[in-house]
Amino acid sequence: MKLALKELRRRPGRFATATVILTLIAVLLMFLGSLLDGLIASSTGAIRAQDADAIVYSASAQASFQRSRIEPDIRSAVESVDGVDEVGGLGVVQLGARVPGNGPRDLANVALFGYELAPDGVPEPPADGEAYADEVLKADGVEEGMTIEIGPARTPVDVIGFVSDTSFNGQGGLWASEATWRSTLAENRPDAQLADGVWQALVVRGDVEPGAIDSATDGATDSYTVDGAVNAIPGVSEQQGTFNQIIGVTIAVALVVIGLFFALITVERVGLYGVLKALGAKSSTIFGGLLVQAVVVTLIAASVAGALVVLLDVVIPPGSIPIAVSIGSIVSSAALLLLAAVIGCSFSLRRVLKVDPASAIG
Amino acid sequence: MFLALKEMSRAKTRFGLLVAAIALLVFLILFQQSLQNGLITGFVGAIRNQNAPVLVYSVDGQRVIQGSIITPDLEAEVRDVDGLGTVGRLGQGTFTATSTTSSGDSLDATILGYELGDDGQGLGAPSELVDGRYPSGELEAVGSTGGDDAFAVGDTVVLQPGGFEIEIVGVADDIQLNVSPTLFVSYSTWSDAVQSVNPDAGEPLPNVMVAAPAEGVTADQLVTDINDRSLDLDALTRDDAASETPGVAQVQQSFQLIFLLYGLVVPCVTGLFFLIVTLQKADALTLLRAIGAPAKRLVASLLIQVVLMIGGGLVIGTALYFPLTVTGLGGLELRFETGAVLFWSILLLTLGVASSLVAARRVLRIDPIEATTGAGVGA
Repeated sequence: MKLALKELRRRPGRFATATVILTLIAVLLMFLGSLLDGLIASSTGAIRAQDADAIVYSASAQASFQRSRIEPDIRSAVESVDGVDEVGGLGVVQLGARVPGNGPRDLANVALFGYELAPDGVPEPPADGEAYADEVLKADGVEEGMTIEIGPARTPVDVIGFVSDTSFNGQGGLWASEATWRSTLAENRPDAQLADGVWQALVVRGDVEPGAIDSATDGATDSYTVDGAVNAIPGVSEQQGTFNQIIGVTIAVALVVIGLFFALITVERVGLYGVLKALGAKSSTIFGGLLVQAVVVTLIAASVAGALVVLLDVVIPPGSIPIAVSIGSIVSSAALLLLAAVIGCSFSLRRVLKVDPASAIG
Repeated sequence: MFLALKEMSRAKTRFGLLVAAIALLVFLILFQQSLQNGLITGFVGAIRNQNAPVLVYSVDGQRVIQGSIITPDLEAEVRDVDGLGTVGRLGQGTFTATSTTSSGDSLDATILGYELGDDGQGLGAPSELVDGRYPSGELEAVGSTGGDDAFAVGDTVVLQPGGFEIEIVGVADDIQLNVSPTLFVSYSTWSDAVQSVNPDAGEPLPNVMVAAPAEGVTADQLVTDINDRSLDLDALTRDDAASETPGVAQVQQSFQLIFLLYGLVVPCVTGLFFLIVTLQKADALTLLRAIGAPAKRLVASLLIQVVLMIGGGLVIGTALYFPLTVTGLGGLELRFETGAVLFWSILLLTLGVASSLVAARRVLRIDPIEATTGAGVGA
């Protein structure tokens, strides 16, 4: 093992190219992971934030707020389900908002929610005409105490504070009272307005399964857990599936590259290994040295790549590529790469085992 | 040639791993190229492949059709612009539906309503049909092909809730919006569809105005005139409306970065492989030079191996990619991109050969006299 580390220290050039290639692959993995996280986070924050045991849509809504209508009688049926403690209405309207100080065509994309039960991190519903804004809207110039005008009807809403990670479909969340949401919806989207008492969705708290709610409403509802509702948002599971496949094949490429590199290094050193074995070194010691080198090279590559991805996150202007770099995604990508390094390196095990000590004497 | 092939046949695992790595990378690049094009066509095909040269959004819409609302005041402003030839309304909504081809399963359908005109080809109609005819009245539609939910002439689409029925009378390629099956219907059919699923809905307003310039006026001029008319109007040419739909530029930028990284990995892997192999063969190459083998023959042998390895990777990678373009990916139609295959083949071959020049330089530096000292190219 000492020999392996010594070689890395004294002949770093030998490992430089492999490290560069692995760094590129690690950047790819981390970038893809961060891109997926960014896309999902900006689409699902408002749902993930719900402090709920079930989210209820109407049966034909396909988990879309815009297509869902929960009539008061359905709400009553949900409230009477055994185990249900609290039920609150939830609705959204997605519009452009005029921000004071911005140009007349420079609008912020907002998703204005009306809610009865406060999501995690969001205070109780504010007074009519007020809203808590998601902090992503700060990038659009939104500030606390500001009045923004929403939609073509220029519905005024006062921003009274900020909340985090509550975006929806890539638009910054605004959290307002039922009345503010209803008036904003009716003034700006007459085709989507709803009668009093009708909500787009219900948030349910209590010891209750989503299936029990749907049974109680005779199939008039389509209920999900919070995780289920996140995955049911159109496009989310498709994005995850596609990205995970791409990440998987990229890891396979890393595995093959590491396997190739260490197989070549092993071939190069067969004679040397023969001498080491003749001097009493075990195959496991030699292979252990190779593994250490693979792990060190991969760790260096992952560290450099992690730094590069963080730098990329800083350099990429807000609103262009939606990446969300997190320590978790960097560490998981590095771990996957390390696993690929160990498996790839083990391709050389057979060759190390085959080395005959007698070859040292020709 | 003989040497190059002989060496490859004797070290199948070594060269096989390189071909496998290149093949996987080629597969990833081509798959993602198709994914990018499929996504963009699925996102904005309906905008790109409709016949109106100019689309007018409200600024509030942020260039998303469904987000835009044209109020009566804004509509009057548009109709009053000099240089305007013809103009029409376009409405859009997303609905839950079943169709005769979806075997009862629900699907997310996008419906675009336009003013049909005399022949069903009013502004906003699909540019070209692949089968059937344009709608001639209410409850008829041109449907999109492609993806898992491709429509066919004669299909019936039923909106839920309410059971509003629309018949497919024609189909067109690449007219999806928001990566969902898409229907082009008359404006009044769209308006009725909106009200059928939401009894509380008021009279829907058009989302976008579609326009064509008067004779002697270009689309760009008309766009400028409309935008000068009101700060609340956002006119775009058809191509700009497609490329500036939110999400399209981000998709392109993300994929360009990914392609750049993959494009760098391939020559690096190839260059590294042949450099190491050349170093390993140092003694043999020196000996070959000492017994009279010309340097250019050894370099040629190296380059033949490079071309064969990358060529093999390209063929296998393309073979892996082909089946995906037949089956598609969910609602996305992935096409076999011959242009992309050619572009990447030439680029990766060029970069691969260029990267192997480091190894070739080592070969050229061999001094035959080193055969008597054992220094070789590794020195």
